Amino acid sequence: MLRTTLAGLRAHRLRLLLTALAITLGVGFIAGTFVLTDTIRAGFARTFAADADRVDVAVLPAGATQGGDDVLPAATLEKVRAVAGVADAQGLIRGSAALIGSDGKVVGDLPTGAISIAEGPLNRTRITSGRAPAAAGEAVLDENTAKTRKFAVGDTVTVLDHDQAQHRFTLVGLFDVGVDQELGFTGALGYTAEDARRMTGVKGFAEIDVKADGTTDPARLKAAVAAALGVGVEVMTGQELADVLASANGVSTDFITAGLLLFGLVAMLVAALVIYNTFTILVAQRTREMALLRCIGATKGQVFGSILLESAVVGLLSSLLGLLAGLGLGAAALAVLSGLEVDIPTGTAELTPRTVIAGLALGMVVTVGAALLPARSATRVAPVAALRTQVEERGFRTGVLRSVVSGLFLAVGAGVIAYAVSMEPGEQALFAVVGGGAVVFLGVLALGPVLVRPLAAFTGWVPRRLFGVPGRLAVDNSRRNPSRSATTTVALTIGVTLMTMMSVLTASTRATANAQLDEQFPVDYMVSAQAGEGTVPRSIAADLRTRPELSSVVQLREVPAKVGGARGEWPVGTFEGPFTVVTTSGSMSGFRAGTVVVGDTAAGKLGVKVGDQIRVVTEEAGTVPLTVIALYDSGSSPLPDLTVPAAAFQEYFGAVDDSRVMVKRAEGVPADRGRTVVEAAAQPYPTALVSSAAEVRGEFDQALDMMLMIVTGLLGLAILISLLGIANTLSLSVHERTRESALLRALGLTRPQLRGMLTVEALVLGLIGALVGVVLGIVFGWAAVQTMADSPRFDLPVAQVLAFVALSGVAGVVAALLPARRAARASIVGALATS
Amino acid sequence: MTVTDTGVRRRAPHAVVARGLTKVYGQGDAAVHALRGVDVSFATEAFTAIMGPSGSGKSTLMHCLAGLDTVTGGTVHIGDVELTGLGDKQLTKLRRERIGFIFQAFNLLPTLTAEQNIRLPLEIAGRQADQALFEKVIETVGLRDRLKHRPTELSGGQQQRVAVARALISKPQVIFADEPTGNLDSRSGAEVLSFLRASVRELGQTIVMVTHDPLAASYADRVVFLHDGSLVSELYQPTPQSVLDTLLKLEG
Ligand SMILES: Nc1ncnc2c1ncn2[C@@H]1O[C@H](COP(=O)(O)OP(=O)(O)OP(=O)(O)O)[C@@H](O)[C@H]1O
Ligand SMILES: [Mg+2]
Repeated sequence: MLRTTLAGLRAHRLRLLLTALAITLGVGFIAGTFVLTDTIRAGFARTFAADADRVDVAVLPAGATQGGDDVLPAATLEKVRAVAGVADAQGLIRGSAALIGSDGKVVGDLPTGAISIAEGPLNRTRITSGRAPAAAGEAVLDENTAKTRKFAVGDTVTVLDHDQAQHRFTLVGLFDVGVDQELGFTGALGYTAEDARRMTGVKGFAEIDVKADGTTDPARLKAAVAAALGVGVEVMTGQELADVLASANGVSTDFITAGLLLFGLVAMLVAALVIYNTFTILVAQRTREMALLRCIGATKGQVFGSILLESAVVGLLSSLLGLLAGLGLGAAALAVLSGLEVDIPTGTAELTPRTVIAGLALGMVVTVGAALLPARSATRVAPVAALRTQVEERGFRTGVLRSVVSGLFLAVGAGVIAYAVSMEPGEQALFAVVGGGAVVFLGVLALGPVLVRPLAAFTGWVPRRLFGVPGRLAVDNSRRNPSRSATTTVALTIGVTLMTMMSVLTASTRATANAQLDEQFPVDYMVSAQAGEGTVPRSIAADLRTRPELSSVVQLREVPAKVGGARGEWPVGTFEGPFTVVTTSGSMSGFRAGTVVVGDTAAGKLGVKVGDQIRVVTEEAGTVPLTVIALYDSGSSPLPDLTVPAAAFQEYFGAVDDSRVMVKRAEGVPADRGRTVVEAAAQPYPTALVSSAAEVRGEFDQALDMMLMIVTGLLGLAILISLLGIANTLSLSVHERTRESALLRALGLTRPQLRGMLTVEALVLGLIGALVGVVLGIVFGWAAVQTMADSPRFDLPVAQVLAFVALSGVAGVVAALLPARRAARASIVGALATS
Repeated sequence: MTVTDTGVRRRAPHAVVARGLTKVYGQGDAAVHALRGVDVSFATEAFTAIMGPSGSGKSTLMHCLAGLDTVTGGTVHIGDVELTGLGDKQLTKLRRERIGFIFQAFNLLPTLTAEQNIRLPLEIAGRQADQALFEKVIETVGLRDRLKHRPTELSGGQQQRVAVARALISKPQVIFADEPTGNLDSRSGAEVLSFLRASVRELGQTIVMVTHDPLAASYADRVVFLHDGSLVSELYQPTPQSVLDTLLKLEG
């Protein structure tokens, strides 16, 4: 039996090749994910381990490893230095101080990071050129910022301290931030400890590093330091610190792994469908062979075993290939990442035992699992089938069971989705939609063979009329074996559904965000401080009001304040300028000192309504009672949660600067002219940044487009595998219909017409898959949008969705290229002779 | 040896003429000479049978005459068109316009009904069926109540009758049939053969049929005998007995 199986494998190797490729791609992607993340993780561990070598004991504020913001008081450093066995101890200061670029404005969206550079052996910063700062007024800059902002060693840079005062430093060197994600993002300057304290205003240390004097080992020193400091700190050996840091960074790679694996699993699911289909067809084509085997005495078990063995061999070989592909894929991804200069450690890609085991196991389980059903149907071949001359056409009847099962799935899935849509928007509702969607999909899968006939008639309507006889024959062929066509197309449907859903989600998110932006940002320009925190001087608004190019200037101010009876601080603020508050209840008519308007969300949390009183703790006027006269929609208004009149605000909190200035252009003034005016007014103030509505929108659009592109690219793998499936089904069908093709050729069908026939068949299959996918994707997308926001906007990107359908059709046609060529090339006489 | 048509329709033009036809499969030592210089012509509006022992080259001859296969040497004319030297496209066009086929098995497309199968060649050629002819052919082969059935719902004999109807409907210059009754029992076989003969008599069709069966050959106007790739004999107005005698002589 083994020999028969192997002979069969050899005979069908071409047919099995495409199947193997499907598995190879799936396993390759998953293995590649592991290779990539394993390598990055190993890189993190290496980097931190190298750091740990320099430090014997580290002291951190309690909770720092869980993301706390506390600092160690300066006195702690003295206590550590006093511990016996400590050769040297240095405190690390970490904060921010905004660097000013050559345009006179602060650099980046967030203030530049500021760190102290330790002296001597405890220095962990890698200086890449120049030297470390040794005296006041000297600083080093991170390489990346130096490159993008065109600073070099020897330059003088201006930095704002925590009080916005300007200080000048001489760059004495450049350094590498290494794997520090935060500093990588903000950029950073390194100073002497004294300068760092002065610039950041931070009154303590983020970490104290200790070097032992050589007579004490780190564990003992750790105990000694811990004993000297008591509670409120965490003391670790260098090695322990490295482990903690590495695993904290590992969490982010876990996240990437999980995300990528999700796409890998989708691809494997599609591959499973392709394999299932291939084996089903192969078994059907070998009915006579199986029957003959049974005639000469093979048991059912042996027939079953031979098919499973065949699938196991295919699974093993293609998984092995997949592992190699994964190694290549991982290496390529690493190369791309290091080419992009992303701040992650890289190294040589390697296959860990876990990757090998996971890849092989998954590949084998999917292949053999998918072959189980076909193998079972092979055992049902009666020995007498060997004696039948004509292979029977596989008809298809809609069984009652199938109708009931698929109906049940559809009903349950639709019910879950409907319930999810009616739920409060949020993660739970989204998960419910995903779950319901999966169930609906199972229903569609079960119903597939029933759907194929009408859908083929629908999608085939045009080709039937356009391509004459070959077109008609093709449409007939596409629905002659509904189960086979259904499985083939469902593989494609999966990818198209997810893609459509993603594009609906992106478009709707964009529409929702734009709508919110229109409401929140009904202005042309905004002047605000870096990162939206801090203030800009009132003189900017005063200056802007004098400009004829601008039609309206609104200042917004706010400060955090305690509110009687409520926990935490609440933004209390005001506006000055022509601004109309749109109320959801109450009225603005009595808006004067002693009253307040409240955002509806905050009102809900504070438990107040129109007519109630709120007691606000102010800086200059003590606790003042304020009467709520109106509520407004928090989601669409730029106002602070508690808004009082401008004069009253000044009484309560003094002459607070503007947190934002919103500016509208006068009619007829060109956009760039308006911008120039606003920028001129902001120019003297380095922290006052000008943004426009168009920019905010553009950045958001870019981020969304980027995400859509990545997801589409990752889903492309599933689509590619499903195309292999179409090509596979088609070439198996072509093989099955060799004599039919010969007959058609004898009757006068030209080679191009025969090719055209198969191409149209693939086109119809592709369109069916795309059509179902698009419909499901739109429904799922709509449902998911409902779970994302309170008042979501649904946007159907019609052009994109149509493009998916068209591309699926084209892809089907591409998949048909090889099978069609083979069919058209076959000699008529030879084909007629095949039995 | 050259065989010339000296039968009843002597003066009728020839539908198919082959001159010095050779066909060699393979090369060198493995070369098989399936046809060794065959000169043969088939009269218009006549029913001719090709006979010979297994492996004598009957199917090969038919495939070469019908433009399904390329020849190694010699020429083939269908009507006034020389087949040899035509490209695939022109051959296909010629087949769809001038030639009808009936094979031993697998004559019909399983996805099409009997009627659709019958009309298929015309539709491929983009021609309209002659409705009167269609009615007559359906009547002759007796398929009227089977037109909406698919091949799997038809008996082997009925399937072959559909194939005959399909060959007749496009009024080809010549119909080639390769053992059309090979898979049928004697009664269905006789039926199909009667239809073939009737179509020659009543519709003026030209038919060339390859067969193993002396009884089938006796339905023809003329029988030519192949042996080892060469034409060796012929019979006019054959009877089963005279065909059998000739065959025995050839093999003996
Ligand atoms: N494709 C081929 N390649 C090599 N040899 C071939 C090929 N086709 C036919 N032959 C050989 O050519 C010779 C004639 O074959 P052909 O099929 O024409 O015989 P036939 O008279 O139709 O036989 P049968 O009565 O058994 O159908 C045979 O010897 C056969 O083996
Ligand atoms: Mg033959």
